[in-house]
Amino acid sequence: MTDLPGIPSRRNFLKASAASVALVGVAAQAKAQGNAPAVAPLDQYQPEFLNADEWAFVMAATARLIPSEGNGPGAIEARVPVFIDLQLAGSYGTADMWYMEGPHDPTASADRGWQTPLNPAELYRQAIPAFDAWCESTQGAKFAELDADKQDAALTALQKGEPKLAPELSIFFTTLLANTKEGYFADPMYGGNHGMASWVYLGFPGARAAFREWPERHNIKYPLGPVSIKGERA
Amino acid sequence: MARQEKKKDVVIVGLGWTGSIAGIELAQEGLDIVALERGEDQSVVPTFKYPNQIDELKYGVRNTNFQHPSRQTVTVRRNEGENALPYRVLGSFLPGNGVGGAGTHWNGLNWRPQPVELQLRSHVRDHWGEQIIPDDMVLQDYPVTYDEMEPFFTRFEKVAGISGYAGNLKGEIREGGNPFEGWRSEDYPMPPMKTTYDASLFAEAAKKAGCHPFPAPAGIASQAYTNPYGMQMGPCNYCGFCERYGCYQYSKSMPQTATLDALKAYPNFSYRTGAEVLRVEMAEDGKTATGVTYFDHAAQEEVFQPADIVILSSYQLNNVHLMLLSGIGQPYNAVTGEGVTGKNYAYQMNGGITLFFKDKNFNPFVGHGANGQAIDDYSISQIDFGAEGFIGGAYWRAGTFNGQPIRSMPLPKGTPTWGAGWKEGIGEWYGHAMSIGSHGSHMSYKTNHLDLDPTYKDPHGRPLMRMTFNWNQNDLRMNQFQKRMMEPIAEMMGADSWQAGFKDVGAQYDVRPYQTTHNTGGHIMSDSPTTGAVNKFSQAWDKHNVFCMGAGNFVQNTQYNPTGMVGGLAYHTVHAIRTQYLSNPRPLV
Amino acid sequence: MYKALRILAGLVILGVVCLLAFIFVPVQRTEPATELAADWTPAPGQGEYVMNAGDCVACHTAPDGETLAGGRAIESPMGTIWSTNITPDKENGIGDWSFADFRAAMIDGVTPNGTHLYPAMPYENYRLMKEEDLRALYDYLMADVKPVAVANKETSLSFPFNMRFGIRAWNWLALSHGPGFTPLEKTEAEDRGQYLVEGPGHCAACHSPRNTFMAQDGVTADNGSFLSGGVIGGWNAPSLRGEGSAPQQWSVEEMASYLATGRNAHSTANGEMGLVVEHSLQYLTDEDNIAIAAFLKGIDGEKVAVPSSFANAGPIVTPTAPADDAGKATAEMLTAAEPGLPEGARLYLDNCSACHFVTGKGAAGIFPELQGNHLVTGSEVGPLVSVILHGAEVMPTAKRPMHLVMQGYADRLSDDEVAELSTWLRQAWGNDAGAVSAADVAAQREAPTH
Repeated sequence: MTDLPGIPSRRNFLKASAASVALVGVAAQAKAQGNAPAVAPLDQYQPEFLNADEWAFVMAATARLIPSEGNGPGAIEARVPVFIDLQLAGSYGTADMWYMEGPHDPTASADRGWQTPLNPAELYRQAIPAFDAWCESTQGAKFAELDADKQDAALTALQKGEPKLAPELSIFFTTLLANTKEGYFADPMYGGNHGMASWVYLGFPGARAAFREWPERHNIKYPLGPVSIKGERA
Repeated sequence: MARQEKKKDVVIVGLGWTGSIAGIELAQEGLDIVALERGEDQSVVPTFKYPNQIDELKYGVRNTNFQHPSRQTVTVRRNEGENALPYRVLGSFLPGNGVGGAGTHWNGLNWRPQPVELQLRSHVRDHWGEQIIPDDMVLQDYPVTYDEMEPFFTRFEKVAGISGYAGNLKGEIREGGNPFEGWRSEDYPMPPMKTTYDASLFAEAAKKAGCHPFPAPAGIASQAYTNPYGMQMGPCNYCGFCERYGCYQYSKSMPQTATLDALKAYPNFSYRTGAEVLRVEMAEDGKTATGVTYFDHAAQEEVFQPADIVILSSYQLNNVHLMLLSGIGQPYNAVTGEGVTGKNYAYQMNGGITLFFKDKNFNPFVGHGANGQAIDDYSISQIDFGAEGFIGGAYWRAGTFNGQPIRSMPLPKGTPTWGAGWKEGIGEWYGHAMSIGSHGSHMSYKTNHLDLDPTYKDPHGRPLMRMTFNWNQNDLRMNQFQKRMMEPIAEMMGADSWQAGFKDVGAQYDVRPYQTTHNTGGHIMSDSPTTGAVNKFSQAWDKHNVFCMGAGNFVQNTQYNPTGMVGGLAYHTVHAIRTQYLSNPRPLV
Repeated sequence: MYKALRILAGLVILGVVCLLAFIFVPVQRTEPATELAADWTPAPGQGEYVMNAGDCVACHTAPDGETLAGGRAIESPMGTIWSTNITPDKENGIGDWSFADFRAAMIDGVTPNGTHLYPAMPYENYRLMKEEDLRALYDYLMADVKPVAVANKETSLSFPFNMRFGIRAWNWLALSHGPGFTPLEKTEAEDRGQYLVEGPGHCAACHSPRNTFMAQDGVTADNGSFLSGGVIGGWNAPSLRGEGSAPQQWSVEEMASYLATGRNAHSTANGEMGLVVEHSLQYLTDEDNIAIAAFLKGIDGEKVAVPSSFANAGPIVTPTAPADDAGKATAEMLTAAEPGLPEGARLYLDNCSACHFVTGKGAAGIFPELQGNHLVTGSEVGPLVSVILHGAEVMPTAKRPMHLVMQGYADRLSDDEVAELSTWLRQAWGNDAGAVSAADVAAQREAPTH
């Protein structure tokens, strides 16, 4: 007989035990941290994919794309760089689900979709030094070393395509911005949206997914904070 | 040499809506049936289980639930002169994969076509004359009428479990329903879903403007439901995870809630997953198929599955691909206009207006894929094509359907796309925006078609299918008409600001943003073997034991979401197989 | 299966005391209740039907084993009891048994060589079966079941439980009734239901309490304790009598639907009862499930209207129930969803309310009611905690083919959280049951298989 969900078997027992150990760990930390799991500070984070220069760039760029000032968390508080690193280290980085056979035409117009031969990991790997080189030649320093205003100006230029990167890299800014927002809003189990802070900021209840009483409660703001897939509450 | 399996009475290619309907209805005849599904087995639990399915990144953004382009995709070009390039990353449309198919991740909008949409060429000829039909448009009547189809629409709606309120019950027009719909022999199986705030605001404005709002017909359970097969749905909780997701709550109409477990109970039915059909094999005389060859992903080998009847019930694009690869129907030639397979590829022409209200809370995460109030006042049956200068129409709908922030973050024009201004904008406007959508028809044109790509190959070495497609001026004019009609109603609603997004004349097809997964045509039904690939019973004109199900049958696309029509046609086809074909296998027309 | 364990505990006392008294007395077989005519033959299909009604397959088939070839383990602290091969294999099964041998096993719990069966075999109840049904079952097992050459695994319990003759003493006390069936002579349907419940269905094995010697307290309907509730393997087998009981709360159609499909407007069948539906009740005719439901409805004397059908083909729409007076306060609190909710209520909104709703009323046939649900409020907290941790399922049945599965939350909720949630559930919507501790939850995380 298979493992019936209602009837725990030994196999389930082993899995459940492992899970409970993990959960106890999380829960213990959560109590100390107001329900957000304890994590290493960003400056102690060991990237899985990004090298030191790339990490510095991603830290600096995401900090401008979603800055810390003003209401709501910034990309740094949300740990977006961790999210990007983990995504590039995984199946997204290697474009496992995408059709990547040649021939490629990276010069095709943007509305033809992803046509660069590079997968996202390769795109970051090649685009960051190319963009840094442009920053050095036009601003006198790598992107990460510029001040915030110059960084904003450099990103604006990149968005407009002014640096004239190789056609294979033309999709870099769009990708970086998309990944930054993903890391800001995705479930915290992917490394970003730390403490579900962006969801709290918006009033999005996360993975609760249960609102049968609410469609006819017109014009009443839904009051309860979010829950994550793993059960963190805020 | 391919491995050979024991011969079956019926082989079904693709186990989604139409495959499972064919399976269960033919299993009742006692036939020995096998379904081949290239994807994985999928059940509500564990495949779509809570909370794991409530993951916008994995399913909404990374598109894990769909056909992965690395396994199968198409190439796209906008015209004969352009170099077709692969659709490498899903964007514009999202073909299904796995048991349940696209039926697992649709929004649940379940419409019937208007009666005139099935006889559209006649409708145009009778009212305005054929001279208003543009030269490049291939406008045909469907070979079935609404009256013929009505019992089959009703049957599918009972099986799928649709919530709504009939506006035309046996000819009686009922207040609160859609007065412009085709007649219904019975009311919807379930009462309509609740109306969210945004939908109520839209309905109020539409009424003031003299329109006739009604609850959108939803393949979403408003109550606990048991269908004619004894299959069950649980009441929806408005979680907003419909499109792109399987429903963890047993609330959405899916093969998993409507057909599959009932089908699996038949001992004369079996199915194999990881079984990717590569081609349909033909008898020497070329008049019938002998079965299909598939790639068994577990064994990593090709397998021949002989069968007396072949039912192609994979996604529309894959059905047409298989037909092109197998020589079912003569391939369509866009230059000469001859040939049938790949002809009349069509899509959907959509637009909409987003409205921003500082002081209103919409809770956009409360909703479902088919939520809201709709109107049909600017639909095909209500428009004077002669005066307006196009053929087509649209329904409109307002209703929150997901507040997932990665993809659903409408911001007023002028808000920066990043930086401090963006962050301020999302805090200010999340939950304070609503939209009205226009969902419009798409006609068929000589220039929009499907054939085999000369350059790109799939992992089995087969040519990818090539889509030649661009927006046509006729449909863009229709879209601009909808914009003109919608703007005054949006203006009436008293928003702080609003902005319209309707493609205009000259727009080029962009494969990146999601538009719809309403890819239609390519194996259209017709009265004659020279104008379409299948007859009115979805039977291949040139291979009488091959039946081709799905939206590939659409002569031109209707103004509605296609599932209701696809389900109705599936029951119509299977009824013909049961009552006419099995006793005497032959061309039925 | 856990009943065996508790029965055996009673045997400790009896087995030792009566050892010598019974050790040398030859085993007697009870005479049949009715003599069948020499040319009597069962109706076609009768034997298989009796087998289904008696739920033989559930115990006599090993996981992934050949049907009826035995080998299913029934764990106990004294050792494992293995169910036996009852296919007609001469070497390993019952191929050499005469009908008299078979009847003796069914009604006296004695094998042809005089060995006593462990009372995990419910001969206390099968003793009430009609001679015709015993014979039909025997004929079926002999003629229609494929012999399977699978050797029986030896059950070797520790002393004194390995002294099978001790069971003889127990039998003296337990088998004061029968053999054969005595109807209460109400309606035809209720009498039929009584027979199925008392005899082949052996419902009392779980739903009657146990007396001092762990024999069933109430084997027949004329006994006031009959079906008044028991505890089996940590699951409450709820009382089927009295005001708050399911047969009195539910309509006869609803009860029949529960029996035949494992689901009805209120609840779903889980645990041991789920297995009974899966292996036995779903194969009974509609008339028989209605008969059982009618008998249970009228068990305390109420007059019963017998319906003609239940769980029909759709379309069937059942509106969700609003909160009632007892549940209103809870429902209002959950609807408001204000921050600062009690942790249990917050956990309910985050994990449960999607399907069971703020009313705790669930939805007909698919999401069980939690208000007043004996699994939620029972004396045994294990099942509730187990369902939260590991999920639950309702197996496909002929009339309701859908395999309904609730996912477990073991990887989302800690022991403390499950305890908090369970305690809250046991007190929400007017439920009134005691608290659940984190230790209760930890025990269920590690609970062994059934």
